[in-house]
This record gives sequence, C-alpha cells and structure tokens, in this order.
Amino acid sequence: MSRLDAASEPLTLNAPEARIAVLEARLKDAITEISDLRARDALKTQFLANISHDLRTPLTAVITHAEILRDGILGDLSPRQLDSVRGIISGGRQLLNQVGEILTYARGAANQLALVSSRFAIKEVLEQVSKLNESLLKKKRLTLWVESEPGLTAVIADREKIAHVVGNLLGNAIEFTPSGGRVWLRASRAAGETPEAQLVEVGDTGVGIAPEHHDLIFREFAQVDATPSRPHHGTGLGLTIARKLVELHGGRIWVESTLGSGSRFYFTVPVEQAE
Amino acid sequence: MSESNQQHVLIVEDNQLVIDALRILFEAAGRRVSGARSIAEALVTADADPPELVLLDLRLPDGDGLVLVDHLRSRGATVIAMTGDDDPSKRERCLDAGCVDVLIKPVPVKELMAATERWID
Repeated sequence: MSRLDAASEPLTLNAPEARIAVLEARLKDAITEISDLRARDALKTQFLANISHDLRTPLTAVITHAEILRDGILGDLSPRQLDSVRGIISGGRQLLNQVGEILTYARGAANQLALVSSRFAIKEVLEQVSKLNESLLKKKRLTLWVESEPGLTAVIADREKIAHVVGNLLGNAIEFTPSGGRVWLRASRAAGETPEAQLVEVGDTGVGIAPEHHDLIFREFAQVDATPSRPHHGTGLGLTIARKLVELHGGRIWVESTLGSGSRFYFTVPVEQAE
Repeated sequence: MSESNQQHVLIVEDNQLVIDALRILFEAAGRRVSGARSIAEALVTADADPPELVLLDLRLPDGDGLVLVDHLRSRGATVIAMTGDDDPSKRERCLDAGCVDVLIKPVPVKELMAATERWID
C-alpha cells in the first residue's frame, strides 16, 4: 500500500491523543512524499538539460560540415548538390532550435534563467524579429505589419528574452495562418497596469483557438491536437517558454481568440525591472 | 606556405566530430590544426607546440575551459571562446577571462573564418 493510500484511509480512532498521533504520522508521510516528488522532478529537469546539450554537439558538427560544402571551401558543387546541402543546413538549424527550446524550458523549470537587462525600445525588437522571419512570411505569402504607438519610451528589460517571446508568438502566428493572411506586431502603452508597463500584441488572421483551449496552450508539452498525424509540429513548449520569460519580467501573457477568426496574443513588459 | 610558418590553430572541444569539422575548414584555409578534447590534453599540446589561435569550448570533461585562458595567453595564443548558448552573462565571463571574442555554436562557417582572420592575419 502506498503512502497516499494509507493517508486516505478513514480515521476511526476516538482518543484525541491517538488521533493526533495518526494525523502527525500522515503529515510526515505527505511531506516525505512531496520531497521525493520534487527530487524526482528536479532529476527529470536536469536530464532534459543534459540531453539537450548532448544533442546539440553532434548537430553542430553536421551543420558545420554542410556549410563547408555549401560555401565551396572544398570545391564547387552542382546546383542540385547545393540545394541538397542547403536542405541539410536548414533541417539541422530547425532541429537545433527545437533542442534549444527544450534547454530553455528545462532551465526555466529549474529557475536557472536570469534577466540581463538593458534599455531598448520594444519596436526595435519587433523589427528585428520580423526581419528574421522575412523568408518564412514570403514563403507563405503572409503580409506583416509592425507598429508602435508614437512617443513610446524605452523599457529596461532583457532584450534577448523579449525577442525570444516575440519570436515564439510570431512563429505560431505564421504557422497557424493560411497563405494570403495577415499577421501584425504592435507595441503600445498598457492601460491600467501598475507598475507602468507596455503592451505587445502579436495578432493573425489564422485558424484561431477555441476558448476552452486558451489556458491549455500555455501548459508545457500541450498542443490542441496532440495526435501523431497533427498538421502542426514542434516541441509544444513555445508558449510555456513565452509565459515563463514574460513572468520573469513581472509581466503577464494571455490570448484573445475564437475558432476561425484569428488570434491576438498579448503580453505586458514593465517599463523598469523591480529591484 | 611551408609547414613551419603555417599558423597553428588549436581546437579545444570535447566532441571529436566538431574537431573534425573545424579541422577540414581551417586546413582548407591553409592553417595547421591540432585538436584537444580536455583541459589536460590542451595543456600538453599547447606546451609542446604553442598555437597562434585557440578555439576554446567552455564545457570540457575535466572542467571549465576558461581556466586555460591565462596559460594559453602566456604562451602567446589568442583565445576565442565557443559556447553552445547565447547567455549574455556567459559572454561577459569569457571576455573577463581574457578571450578576444565569443562565438555561439554552431558558428556559421563564414563568421568563424572572419573572426579568426581578424585575430591572426
């Protein structure tokens, strides 16, 4: 019988001392159980971090070899050979990004992520991330616009991590918006937030998300369609990581969407980080 | 260029696959290349045949690669760190330790060549 089964047995003793002794024993068991579970969870997180590192290293070698070929360092390739080598590089880089997401997730779960703050305008980050996604947007014939409320001040935050959040949200917007659709990135003042904050919106005209799934999608490893034949792939960690990074800044993240009418993801970034 | 005046690049990296890939790249660029898979191996190689340039991975089986930087610099080497992630605090730690640059793996081949040419040519 496990400790949890014992803990749920009905309490039938009448003498108060005996009842107290039993309750104390149950409490002690429960505390031990919790600490065991925490230790096992920490081990699993550490395993994820280690395995991510071990997967990255050979991938690094594969990508470097392919780039040596692509750049003609060992001689020129035919156009078809070049296409094939480019395929190895883009597949390798995609896999590397996914492994990187698992590593970030594991560090977040183990509270090993620290903010490195600097002063920057959110708009610069929106432009940087949209530039990185230019070829994907073009491939899907999606229109992107980037907009910032006039007079918006700079924020003090971790630029890389804010870019990571915007990148994950834009990546989803691109993935879940059919060809010919629109996506947008917008920064504005966040009304009614204390401390003062700015609001980032990542919107699309894509497939949308049913309201009953609005909480689920921020949970780790959750995908609305988790079947192996699902049309959209990925680690299922993008939004969990986005939430973690936003909360690390003291902000919050949420979605407004209904099925079939696109999605708008919002997150807030406090203008200055609390000491 | 004869072998004696070819510049010597030492790659300190625990994974042989990565050493092999970088060896092909640097040899094609006319450098002489050695590989070391641990701090201990790097010390032996650097003392026997001091390199002009060291590409140094941080995570080595016998410790943090940065402990090598002072010794390598005292032998006349320029040290470039290579790290698997773009954590800015790690970057600062490498520069503080005396590395001239920090590259994020997998370093695009063009970036790697540009960085090394900047420091040893």
